[in-house]
Amino acid sequence: MKRSSLRNIGALARRELGFYFNSSVAYVVLIAFYAVSGAWLFLMDDPSTGLGFFEENHASMRRLLDAVPLFFVFLVPAISMRLLSEEKRTGTIELLASWPVSDAEIVLGKYLGGLGLVAVALVGTAPLTLLVGSLGELDVGAVVGGYLGLLLVGAAYLALGLMTSAWTKNQIVAYLLGALLAGAFYFVDSLGSALPGGADSVLGALSFRAHFQNFARGVVDLRDLVFYASFVVVALVVTSQSLSARGWKR
Amino acid sequence: MALNESPQSPPAPTQSRGTPMISVRGLTKRYDGFAALNGLDFAIARGEIVGFLGPNGAGKTTTMKILTAYLPQTDGEVIVDGLDVSQHSLEVRAKIGYLPESTPLYADMLVYDYLRHVGTLRGVPKGELGNRIRQVAAMCGLGDRIGQEIGTLSKGYKQRVGLAQALIHDPDILILDEPTSGLDPNQIVEIRNLIKTLGTNRTIILSTHNLPEVMATCNRILIIHKGRIVADGTAEALEQREAASQHLGLILERADLEAADVETELRRLQGATRVRCAETSADSLRFELESLRDTDLRPLVFALIVARGWRLLELRREQMDLEGLFRELTREV
Repeated sequence: MKRSSLRNIGALARRELGFYFNSSVAYVVLIAFYAVSGAWLFLMDDPSTGLGFFEENHASMRRLLDAVPLFFVFLVPAISMRLLSEEKRTGTIELLASWPVSDAEIVLGKYLGGLGLVAVALVGTAPLTLLVGSLGELDVGAVVGGYLGLLLVGAAYLALGLMTSAWTKNQIVAYLLGALLAGAFYFVDSLGSALPGGADSVLGALSFRAHFQNFARGVVDLRDLVFYASFVVVALVVTSQSLSARGWKR
Repeated sequence: MALNESPQSPPAPTQSRGTPMISVRGLTKRYDGFAALNGLDFAIARGEIVGFLGPNGAGKTTTMKILTAYLPQTDGEVIVDGLDVSQHSLEVRAKIGYLPESTPLYADMLVYDYLRHVGTLRGVPKGELGNRIRQVAAMCGLGDRIGQEIGTLSKGYKQRVGLAQALIHDPDILILDEPTSGLDPNQIVEIRNLIKTLGTNRTIILSTHNLPEVMATCNRILIIHKGRIVADGTAEALEQREAASQHLGLILERADLEAADVETELRRLQGATRVRCAETSADSLRFELESLRDTDLRPLVFALIVARGWRLLELRREQMDLEGLFRELTREV
């Protein structure tokens, strides 16, 4: 990759991260995420065992790690929804397109800017993890694997959200489409058991939830990594194509 | 820098000397069957300031969007400094500074941060960027607003930020879509002066539907109507070519003159095709005279005034012709 490409991608990513923190977006997203996560971890009963956090008498992040991919279905599209749709609505895309920046650089820069906020959100849960760790013996492998898995799930949702953001100049439409697609890919494995034949394994192979299970147990499987990486690449390529198809090229 | 060179003085020939900076042949753009551009042909020489003039919807903005590689053309060829826009979009974009019609900017950014962002993407070396930002900010009169959030600026200052971002990489070509629309008269004069200064060493295309604007800033005018070029030349050349008649305005001291008598005498002048008394007031009489375009009535009028002993308050040639031409050429049929 050329040096100028790296410079452009960096500048675009910095601009997006700067926007999140200069506006209220970052704070609303982060506060919502921590409030829901904390409540889920300490106040709610585990749906599978029916026990609350302190009744289980076992220091584990598992119940939170399992739930975050679902929170992300609603949260991550809120991060990605404005990335391209807002440029189209305000017309700034016309200036952006007049600068010598390629479509691929625009897509990557905006993507990395959004991913930065997802990463900040995850890093921000560290105090929760430390708190749980102080209450008892924590399975470090499961926690590290879980966080890596969450970053990948967030990265996949963000790519979907960026793609829907390229399709419309309306942020709300981009959000709803992004959340719908993210939810569909999360739950698609439950559809498999209701369908006959080999649908089960095919849909399971497409499901974010199925590919997250290993991470949550502390197992980093190359197949899961490849799944998320290829998912992101495909969504970003479609995003780039959607941009060019709107009239301008390269 | 040739600052003393008056931007209006050189009568730019329609046929450009040497290799043109911008060359457009057979440019056509269709949106869903509607033809916005219908085979546009023109060439612009290095250093020309060209005004695209035309009513709303004539195709000015579409042409600019194609020149800046934002829109692909349906047909035809656009060459900028020897490069085909559809093949070398990134290189062409690097040579051009562009100000789109409504000046879309990131409202949440500070002026300085925004110019820094654009400068980085424009490839201005990091070490020079700070200096460059100060330079364009000074050029565009942004000095004291550099730390302000763009969203809180007035329309006039936003326009200057838009110009500053177009200039940050010191481009050879500037394309400005309606650079003075929505500004107050003082701001309009300032922006026009800035454009003239910038034009001393750059090729500039600006669009407007405002006649005084092109007269004040451009050394060549392209009148576009319904996706075609209907006229091309300097303001003077266009006027001379097309003006069918000359108009004179004459004001005499009223004293004890009878408007009807003066009118009758003026009518007798050789070559006067139309004479009317336009206004009578307590102390003056105003007349409008029309003649064929190759007849100058002024010496005859003067001789008549001297012979009759009238008191002359004003005699001048009316410059209405380009406006008339514009209306004539762009009339809806």
